[in-house]
Amino acid sequence: MNMLSLQHFPIYSVMVLFLGAFLVVIFGRNKVLRHSIALLATCASMLFMMALIKPVMLDGEIIAYWMGSRVPAGGYAIGIAMEVDAMSLFFGVLISTAVFVACIYSIQYMSHDDNVPQYYTLFLMLAGGVMGMVLTGDLFNMFIMVEILTFAAVALTAFRNTVTGALEAAFKYLVVGSIGSTCILAGTIVLYAQMHTLNLAQLSALIPDHFTTATKLAFALLYIGFSTKAFLVPFHPLAADAHGAAPASISLIISGVLTKCGIYGIIRLTYFLFQSMNLGTTQFLLVFVGSVSMFVCVTMALAQHDFKRLLAFHSISQIGYVLTAVGLSTALGLSAGVYHAMNHTIFKGLLFLAAGAVLHETGTTDLGKLGGLSKKMPHTTVLFLIGAAAISGIPPFNGFASKWMIYQATYQKAVESGNIGFLLVTIVALVTSTLTLASFVKVTQSVFFGQLPKELEHVKEVPFGMRFAMGILAFLCIATGLFPEQVTRYLTEPAATAVFHVGAYINAAMGSGYAESAMLNPPLAAEPAFIESGIWSPVSWLCLLMIALLAITVVALSGKYDKVSLGDVSDTKYQLFYGGEANFASLVGSDDMFWGFKYNWRHYFSFMHELHSGVVNDYALWAVVALALAILYAFIVM
Amino acid sequence: MILFNYIASFFLIVLGLYCIVVKYNLIKTVIGLSVMDYGVNLLIITIGFNPGGTAPIFTAGELTPASYFVDPIPQALTLTSIVIGACVTAMSLALVIKLEEQYGTTDTREIRRLRG
Amino acid sequence: MTLILEALRYLVYVLIFPGFLFCFLTGLLLCGIDRKLVARMQKRVGPPILQPFYDFFKLCGKETIIPAAASKTTFLLAPLVGLAALVVIQLFIPVFRFSAFSNVADIIVILYLLLIPALSVILGGAASGSPYAGVGLSREMVTILSCELPLVLVLLAVAKTVGQALGLGLCFSLTKIVEYQMEYGSLILKLSMLPAAAAFLLIIPGETGSHPFDAAEAETEICEGPLAEYSGAPLGVYKLSHAIKILTMTSLFVALFFGGVGRGLENLVMMLGVSGGLAGALIFLLEILVLFLFCVVLTFLCISVVHAVTARLRIEQLFKYYWTVVTGLALISLVLAWYGL
Repeated sequence: MNMLSLQHFPIYSVMVLFLGAFLVVIFGRNKVLRHSIALLATCASMLFMMALIKPVMLDGEIIAYWMGSRVPAGGYAIGIAMEVDAMSLFFGVLISTAVFVACIYSIQYMSHDDNVPQYYTLFLMLAGGVMGMVLTGDLFNMFIMVEILTFAAVALTAFRNTVTGALEAAFKYLVVGSIGSTCILAGTIVLYAQMHTLNLAQLSALIPDHFTTATKLAFALLYIGFSTKAFLVPFHPLAADAHGAAPASISLIISGVLTKCGIYGIIRLTYFLFQSMNLGTTQFLLVFVGSVSMFVCVTMALAQHDFKRLLAFHSISQIGYVLTAVGLSTALGLSAGVYHAMNHTIFKGLLFLAAGAVLHETGTTDLGKLGGLSKKMPHTTVLFLIGAAAISGIPPFNGFASKWMIYQATYQKAVESGNIGFLLVTIVALVTSTLTLASFVKVTQSVFFGQLPKELEHVKEVPFGMRFAMGILAFLCIATGLFPEQVTRYLTEPAATAVFHVGAYINAAMGSGYAESAMLNPPLAAEPAFIESGIWSPVSWLCLLMIALLAITVVALSGKYDKVSLGDVSDTKYQLFYGGEANFASLVGSDDMFWGFKYNWRHYFSFMHELHSGVVNDYALWAVVALALAILYAFIVM
Repeated sequence: MILFNYIASFFLIVLGLYCIVVKYNLIKTVIGLSVMDYGVNLLIITIGFNPGGTAPIFTAGELTPASYFVDPIPQALTLTSIVIGACVTAMSLALVIKLEEQYGTTDTREIRRLRG
Repeated sequence: MTLILEALRYLVYVLIFPGFLFCFLTGLLLCGIDRKLVARMQKRVGPPILQPFYDFFKLCGKETIIPAAASKTTFLLAPLVGLAALVVIQLFIPVFRFSAFSNVADIIVILYLLLIPALSVILGGAASGSPYAGVGLSREMVTILSCELPLVLVLLAVAKTVGQALGLGLCFSLTKIVEYQMEYGSLILKLSMLPAAAAFLLIIPGETGSHPFDAAEAETEICEGPLAEYSGAPLGVYKLSHAIKILTMTSLFVALFFGGVGRGLENLVMMLGVSGGLAGALIFLLEILVLFLFCVVLTFLCISVVHAVTARLRIEQLFKYYWTVVTGLALISLVLAWYGL
């Protein structure tokens, strides 16, 4: 395959999705045609991205593609560019895979809904918007894609408009999301007024030498804009509302993919456009917001009693991890951050799909009404447990591998900089992980174990197509957890390295030598060192565990092993034990599962409950305050 | 004169935000969003303005280094932004209608089943 | 040929020492000693020291009853996985100079691996479908939450102290931590590590779920919580896991704070004038013996005495206690270590 055709792959992979969206509008009435168009489009998009892994990730090429071949003239980028470096491609691969899995899942998940053609149109528009956003090399184009994806996401949130809160969630998301989009647009235009270009590469070359008050304003605006897309604190209530109300396949996209767009935007903003990550103040901003998101959202999740809403809060908590790691501005931190971003997409996708499966079969996601599903849906239970273990950071699943890198990165940063604040971040990260575990123990107990309510006697396992989609993600959970070395070497380290080669990014678009001639201090292409201080070899551990398990099982089976069924016991006094209570529900409801913990934190929890009032005006106010604070921070400190 | 434009656009954005934050009526929230959008559009146009410049419409031969015209890119951006703004307004109004049907009110304080 | 020998060596590690057999014998022995000591402190005669062995074999011979409401596979598999995970953790904890696997997991990983046995109790309890198990597992989870924060702080403090002394910045490797102590003396002798050691001593009863921090398995109110429905061999496996956890936590304490003792043993053997292969074997045996003695002393201190003199805490008191007193101690240690004291 020659380079020319590879050059076109990024635009192909965006276009097939949009093309699919239009084709579904035309041919969507036919069920088979509709599904095959959607599957083909998402699959093709994924394959185009996969094909770029070798040249971009391993050989370190950067693809710059100019629409209509309008290459830069006279040192100015006139045309619209798509620029794909390892960082873009990393997110591209991640997104296209997630979209493909969501598409497989949708086929049977959405089979009972009305207006399915419209669903696929919006779904493909959303996917196209997301892909376009991470592959583009043009700031205004980024804004357009952000608008497309926000628009599609809002529509899809409200898609099941009979579900409680779907419309409400969509409206809130639309209002605050629009404020965010407007911030991005305003920031873009302020930058344009200063630099007279919209090309990301050229902006990256120009901004560091012309760092004025106006660019500071632009930084604050863009930061707030992207953080609404990533649902970082204080925008997390929107995520909870939107993820909770949307169909599960869309929750996967919103939580696993949309938030990644925000993170990608922030990485481009801080590392490329402003190249300000060497400043302690920018690091502080990202790490602070990341840690607060991490902690606040996990505590919010502990107080939830709706399956999907709980997952939504966790989603932002995990995004907090990613942002914290990215904000450390170390090679290991970046690598760990993008690794966790990838893992988050996988395990959170799996969990949302499992929640969707429960909803599909039982018709509810209220933790109080569910229970004992493990006997009815054994496969879903196992898949859910894998996802839950992964998000809680239980070895050897992928969540642990990346969280472990994040702990090391934060602690290394603390030791190197001598700043005790980073130590605090390490502790917060470690504690958050345990709180996450607690929250998932609650879900496991109240949905899959415990007693089966009478109404759920008829529940069946979900269709194969849905289990297959979940199976793919579960497999990825295990695979990326067992082979962290390979994942970091082939995926995350190239992506992190690309971030440290800003000069190469600029030159690839603007012609070689541009960065050196246009910038006063051209960025040095230092080879980042990924030094890990920890030791963790999952495969050896798994082998040891298997040997030990085998030995124990052999010993256990060699003993006398009579099994007695309860059928022999007729006396009712034994019913108290042996799980035989007939009309005796569990004493512990999902709400007060961790009473001992919550009691000590009751003031905090009631304060948080009051704070998340659900009134859209309040959330808009938070957005405005966050914007004001960001602008003040940029003006005063940076 | 051009300073007045900047002040006006800033004023519109803040007015829009104020409206979103303070008004409890869904329709007024949508109006606030639009006003904010118009403020940004005005800002974009203002940035592209060159005093005394002509319209940026040239045929192939006419364009010389001496031609003096307003920046065409912000105008293109504004067009896109207006289209997007219209879509957002349409979508939000559709949502408002549905919300009114479901909740029987357009008061944001009543529409808060999802909270905490 | 060497490959087979190598494989055989690892198999011996896993199955005999410091793996399965060692854990089995020592763990249950510690458990028996604990029971005897508590009985003596309460002026009872108490069971024979080998009683836990008898209990275990008796349980293995009993029938296993699977409750009607239980998820069978999870119910039966959970105890086995928990036990296997515990045995594997023991492989990563060095016995002074000897460490079976030094490049598989370090202390923070061990911290997370320790969650797996606890989770196996939780999952097993959840799978049994009993309301007692429901209450018990919620308490078990809160206990985990309580212990986790101080334990993290202790481990970070140790990592920082050793890392700084070795010039690495931070050191998470348990083998290196022990080696460092061999060279420069035990960590317990450092002023900054004293609060951490005290905090760890308080964590041991919490992690092993013994009195007064046994709200999760309170026999008198919730019928052993997560274990309420278990009987026969699976129950025996859980009892064994509990015993091994005592060994794991105490030997972890020895590795973290008393690693320097190994050097003393070496010197002792040198003084006796033994040399060559015999000396190596003698040192090795002595090390195991000393480790065992340490474990007995620690069990006595943290589990038996505390058991005999206190009454059970309510779960919210337990949480508060760990997040204030114990965390405070660990935090002092971390801050001292941070400023290089």
